[in-house]
Amino acid sequence: MSSDAIETRGLSRVYKSYRKPEGVWNSLKGLWDRQTVEKTALQPTTLRIAPGQIVGLVGANGAGKTTLLKLLSGLITPSHGDALVLGHHPWKRESAFLKRVSILLGQKNQLWWDLAPLDSFALLARIYDLDLAATRRRVQELTKRLQCDHVVETQLRRLSLGERMKMEIIGALLHSPDVLFLDEPTIGLDIVAQESIRDFLAGYVRSRGPTVILTSHYMDDIAQLAHSLLLISKGAIVYEGTVQDFTRKTESVQTLSVRFAEDLAADVRLDGDLHLAKGGKEFHLKIPADRLGPVIAELSRHGSIQDLKTEETDFEDVIKSFLATESRLL
Amino acid sequence: MIRKYLGLYAAFFRASLIADLEYRVNFITRIVTDIFWYVAQIVTFEVLYRHTDVIGHWTLPQTRVFLGILFVIDAIYMVLFHDNLERFSDRVRKGELDLLLAKPVNSQFMVSLQRASTAILGNFALGLGWLIFSLSRLPDFSWERLLWLLILIPCGVTILYCCRFFFTSVAVIFTRAENLQFLWYQLYKFGMRPDSIYAPWLKFFLLTMLPVAMIASVPARALLDPPEPWLFLWAAVLAVFLLWVSHRFWNWCLKQYSSASS
Amino acid sequence: MAISANVEYRLNYVIDAVVQPSMTAVIELLLWLALFQGAAGGTIGGFTLPYYLSYALWGAFFARIASSWMYEFRMIEEIESGSVNGLLVRPFSFYEYYFSQLMGYKFITTFVSFLIPLGATLLLDWPAQMDRLPLATLLVFYYLILVHSISFLVSCCAFFWNRIHSFTVAKNLAFWILTGELVPLDLMPEPYRGWVINLPFASGVYVPVAYLTGRAEVSMVWNGFLSVTVGLIAVNAAGALLWKKGLRSYVGTGA
Repeated sequence: MSSDAIETRGLSRVYKSYRKPEGVWNSLKGLWDRQTVEKTALQPTTLRIAPGQIVGLVGANGAGKTTLLKLLSGLITPSHGDALVLGHHPWKRESAFLKRVSILLGQKNQLWWDLAPLDSFALLARIYDLDLAATRRRVQELTKRLQCDHVVETQLRRLSLGERMKMEIIGALLHSPDVLFLDEPTIGLDIVAQESIRDFLAGYVRSRGPTVILTSHYMDDIAQLAHSLLLISKGAIVYEGTVQDFTRKTESVQTLSVRFAEDLAADVRLDGDLHLAKGGKEFHLKIPADRLGPVIAELSRHGSIQDLKTEETDFEDVIKSFLATESRLL
Repeated sequence: MIRKYLGLYAAFFRASLIADLEYRVNFITRIVTDIFWYVAQIVTFEVLYRHTDVIGHWTLPQTRVFLGILFVIDAIYMVLFHDNLERFSDRVRKGELDLLLAKPVNSQFMVSLQRASTAILGNFALGLGWLIFSLSRLPDFSWERLLWLLILIPCGVTILYCCRFFFTSVAVIFTRAENLQFLWYQLYKFGMRPDSIYAPWLKFFLLTMLPVAMIASVPARALLDPPEPWLFLWAAVLAVFLLWVSHRFWNWCLKQYSSASS
Repeated sequence: MAISANVEYRLNYVIDAVVQPSMTAVIELLLWLALFQGAAGGTIGGFTLPYYLSYALWGAFFARIASSWMYEFRMIEEIESGSVNGLLVRPFSFYEYYFSQLMGYKFITTFVSFLIPLGATLLLDWPAQMDRLPLATLLVFYYLILVHSISFLVSCCAFFWNRIHSFTVAKNLAFWILTGELVPLDLMPEPYRGWVINLPFASGVYVPVAYLTGRAEVSMVWNGFLSVTVGLIAVNAAGALLWKKGLRSYVGTGA
């Protein structure tokens, strides 16, 4: 037994799927003669995470974040390798293990839809063999910190998405898990709710000290909460380091969309690598945030601008550009 | 251990009742809907018995008792399991199974029993009413025979549950298993008729391999025919055996699931 | 894991069109076989066993055609969820759209699924007068218009009440008794017998199948057309009224 909360050795996961044949005959033939297609969702991964660490798991959609999370929480079995979480092999799903971990899936409800959260919490207390009076006190404490004590007696289905997520978080924390798996805890929420959940989680982990694995699409979640960061790309961990290191190295890139009133009369070259072809009217440019001002000024010299829009580049592009600067582009 | 599960079930039942009381109309719509089903079963036999004295080897008053037993067992099953098993494939599709698996409670228990349909308690009362009525119309019925039901109704419900559960758990592996559910309802129909109407080989098959005849026919026989201790023992053995098999099968399905799902 | 969606889709279809009615037929056939073992004189209601076997077989397949679950659920869902907005701008009306869907599906299903009773009756030489099949089929399709109109009426109720789904179940169970799928309606005692046979629902199963298997003469079929027509007028009038009222309340709430 190691002193790490989570330890994996060559942990990997391969999905087998069956190729969908074309046509009726091949489909029927496929019933006994199936051609398997293997897809590696997670390449052999060796990790050690010390107790009390908060690790942000970052990666594009389909990169393998959720696979790793599910492997560590015991929902799926590994194809190869080994993992120990709190000294247990997670996929055996022993009761002693499950009582010490918690998993929160941002897009799914574990609380009962037609019940008030308070009733759901009472059920969870029974499921986890918790003392009912102590649970009630804990719910009070948590709702107070999340500023949502007024909604615990309303049926879940009548709550807003943000309130619902807060209730889900309380449900996941009721049994004071030692390891907490949070999969997109702020997905789909408005900024205010995101922020209040983030603050709450930060305070909670400071005072309770559980080990946390967190995935999120929002860099802010990771930046504010995590000590360290794992970057996953195509099923492999490509970067391990501190969050500060990561944010320092990623430039904030913006997408600038511009539409001129008339087609461009001649090719335009903006400082360096940006190129606007003659005859076009609408352009989408990816520019580092600090160059935005000069570029717009430059553009207005080449024609009258009808429409101008900037957008934060999505996370996947940030990761891509980060990997490029680290010259480890896969 | 057993105490924990009993306590947990009581809590589930209470929670379901709270949730169901939210939609009080449901108590009525359930009864209204199912009255048509009851009437359909009753009318079929009432009409047929106008043209014959026995079907299988039962007379009209006896077949009424059979229907009473069927209604009661079906209602108990519906209250305890129906909603859980019916919505199961939906749950798998939405990924909610994952959350159930992460709980430190037997997953088959959670999957099968966490939501009681208390709105169907009205149907249970209705079925029970019909059973009592039909028994009262039975000439020289010895009421101590009802004691058999203490064993045979739980066995019947268990066997019904296990059969249905096999079809349900397949949804873990094939996410689109609606067809199998249809198939189940067709097979269950064999159990909705007295087993004595079937040819001996088919009857044997329905008492053993595909034991839908064990659900209602055997308890009804305990009330109507000379007692057949071996058959009743078989009901008990089969119920325990099927429960064990369903447990093994469920674990096997979960293994497939956790090594196949993404 | 996933067997090709292609096969699954076809499997769905085969189960709906062939397997389900075949199994229903088998279960009913077994009941009639048992019944005749107990019946004195070898006839029930004046007919011998083969008549009943033929009735049960054809009845199961006609009943399959004469019932609509899926499209009714879809219609209700569409109105409940408010996506009927999208339908209102389509060149079809809501009514026509689902009508064509239902009829199209039933046409194909009928063609395939009738092969089973057709083969079985020819092979086993059960009573079924094939020259009567076209008219019997025509009646059940005429009845389908009524079924669709009723579905429309029910789904219009979704403007006013949610949870109308459970009503669909109750309604279809009631039809189950009234169409004659369970027992030939002529076995019912008077006065019920006269009532149920003259209701339009009998045209779903009893009238066409009784005509086909020689239990009834052509006059009953004409009677069936008439009674369905009366039903169509009544149901569509009510449906049109509810639709108008429903749309008004729907637009009114701006939902």
